[in-house]
Amino acid sequence: MSKNKVSIIGAGNVGATATYYIAEKVIADLVMVDVVGGMTQAKAVDFLHAGPLRGYDVSISIVGTDDFAQIADSNVVVITAGMPRKPGMDRMDLLKVNAGIVKQAARAIVEHAPNAVVVVVSNPLDIMCHVALRSTGFALRRVVGMAGILDSTRFRYFVAEKLGCALSSVHAMVLGGHGDQMVPLPRLTTVGGVPITELMDAATIARLVDRTRKGGAEIVGLLKTGSAYYAPAASVADMVESIITDRKHLAPCAAYVRGEYGIDDLFIGVPVILGRNGVERIIELGLSDDEKALLQASAGAVRQGVEELNTFFKPT
Amino acid sequence: MKRISIIGSGNVGTNTAFFIAETRTADVLLVDIKDGVAAGKALDLMEAGPVRGYATAIRGSVRIDDIEGSDVVIIAAGVNRKPGQQREDVYRDNAPTVRSIANDIKRLAPGALVINIVEPIDLLTLLIQETLGADRFRVMGVGGLLTSTRIRYLVSKALGVSPREVTGLIVGPHHPSMVFLRDTIRVSGIPAETLLGAQRLDQLIEEARTAGDTILQLAKRSSAFYASCAAAAALVEAIVCDTKALLPVSVRCEGEYGVKGLAIGVPAYIGEKGVAGILELKLGAADRAAFDNAAAALRTAHDNIVATGA
Repeated sequence: MSKNKVSIIGAGNVGATATYYIAEKVIADLVMVDVVGGMTQAKAVDFLHAGPLRGYDVSISIVGTDDFAQIADSNVVVITAGMPRKPGMDRMDLLKVNAGIVKQAARAIVEHAPNAVVVVVSNPLDIMCHVALRSTGFALRRVVGMAGILDSTRFRYFVAEKLGCALSSVHAMVLGGHGDQMVPLPRLTTVGGVPITELMDAATIARLVDRTRKGGAEIVGLLKTGSAYYAPAASVADMVESIITDRKHLAPCAAYVRGEYGIDDLFIGVPVILGRNGVERIIELGLSDDEKALLQASAGAVRQGVEELNTFFKPT
Repeated sequence: MKRISIIGSGNVGTNTAFFIAETRTADVLLVDIKDGVAAGKALDLMEAGPVRGYATAIRGSVRIDDIEGSDVVIIAAGVNRKPGQQREDVYRDNAPTVRSIANDIKRLAPGALVINIVEPIDLLTLLIQETLGADRFRVMGVGGLLTSTRIRYLVSKALGVSPREVTGLIVGPHHPSMVFLRDTIRVSGIPAETLLGAQRLDQLIEEARTAGDTILQLAKRSSAFYASCAAAAALVEAIVCDTKALLPVSVRCEGEYGVKGLAIGVPAYIGEKGVAGILELKLGAADRAAFDNAAAALRTAHDNIVATGA
C-alpha cells in the first residue's frame, strides 16, 4: 500500500490546526506550505516533537516549507491560504485579494500534484471554489469546498447544548452558500434520527438557526482580531479523512451543481458523498417551497459573487 | 477511573471487556464461576494492551465478592436461546442465575448501575430491577441498541455510505415483534426511505429484525455476540462520560408509551445515573398498534411466568 500524502497550502491557524487534526488520524504524510517559510517549518518541527506523546511519531512525516514543489503527488491538497475576515468586514471585501492567492495555489497544484482532490477553505468560500476549479481545470468532482460540515457541526453543537444531550447523537443538515444566507434544515436535523422539530418549539429552533447562520461572526466578535479555526480545521480534517480513507461520508459540502436543486453551474452547499475521488455523488433532496426559496436566495448571493469575480478574474 | 464488573466471561462478557478497554473509559473486572477462565481471559486481554494502547486495567476473578463497590455491573451470564425456544423457555433457563447475581449485586454493590445482556432481555431486566428494588432508571437492558446498530449497518451498506452518520431507533420488546421507527432511520438527517425507496428499506428492516437468527445459522454453534458487546460498551461509555446519548434501551416503564410495570425498549438519554430520561415520541397509528400488540404479548409472557412461579 503506497503511502497517502496530504498537503495544506496556508499554515495559518486553520491550516496548522487542520494539519494537527489530520496528523492525529495517522492516515497520511503531511506537507504544510506557506509563503512564510520559517514559521511553517517551525510549526512542522513542533508537531513532530509532540509525536512521541501523541502517537504519530515515526509513522508519518510532517514537513513545513515555502517550496510549492514539496506538494508533489499529493492525494489531497487543502487550500486555506487567504486573508482572514476582520470584524465588520464582508466576505466580498476579501474577494480580490484572496482570488489572487487561491489562483497561485491552484496553479501550483496543477504543476506538482495534478491528480489531487482539492479542498477549498479560503473565503469567500463558494467563490474561491470557482477560482480553484477554473485555475486547475480539474474535473468537477475533484474540487470541493469546506462549508456545510462546519455550519452543521456548529448547528449540532447548539442543538446538543440546548437539549443537554450527547453531541454524537445529533446530526444536522445545512445547505446553501457559506454565508449569512446559508440554509439550515431543522426537519433534517435530528437527535438519534428524531427531527428537532419534534423536540423543541419553533422559537427555540429559530434562535439556534440564527446562531448557526452567525456562527462565524460570533467567534470573530469575541476574538476581535481573528476568526474561528478549531471548528473549521476539524471540518477540514473530517473531509480529508473521508477522501483519503474512502469513507463515503454523506455530508454537506460546496460542490459544483449542474441542474441539481434547479441551480445551474454554481458551487453551492449540497449533500454529497465524499470518497477517494472527491465528490462521489450529489444527493438531491426534495425541498419544501420555503426551503427552495431560501436555497435560491442563497444561490443568488453566490452567483452575484461569481459575477463580481468575472469582472476581473482570469484563470491563468 | 470508574470500575466496571462483568459477570460471565463467555464470548459476550469477554468481548464487552475488550470493547471497553479499547475505548479506555474504565477499569474492568471479569467474574466467572469457572475456575481460571476469567483470570485467563483477562490476562490475555492485558497482554494485548501494549500493542493496542489501552491503559485500563482488566482483572479476572472467580469470586463474586470482588464486585464490591463497582460503579457498573454488566450481567452476561446466561445460555443462548436454542432454535424453536420461546422467550418464556429461555427465561426459565436463565432466570435462576440472573436472580442470584442480582441478589449479589444488592449485597455487594447496592449503588451500581446494572446493564443486562442476558436473554430474554426485557423480562430479565425487569427481574433484576425488582430483585434489586432499585430505582428503575438504574437498570438497563441491551436490546434496541443492538438492533439499531444492525439496521444502521445495513442501510450504510446498501447506500455505500459511512455508517457513522446513520441513525435508527427501535421501540418495543427485544423480540421479532420489535417496532422500527422508520422515520428515524436517516443518513446525516436525510430519511433513508428517500435515498433507498420504501421497498428496499422494508427489506433491510426485515433483515435487521432476523439478524440474530441469520448469524446463528451462519455460525452454526455460536450465536451473535460482537454487536451485543458493542452495544453494552456504548452504554458504558455514555454512563462513564455522562454523555446523555440518545440510545434505545430496555427499561422499566411506568406509564411511558402506555406501559406500566414492564421493562421494554424505548429511546432514552443515557448518563452517569443510568437513564437520565425516556424520550416519549408520538408514534404513528401503525407503529402505535404494532407497539401495543408487542407490549401485550410481552405482558402475557410475563404473566405466564409469574403464574407458573418460574
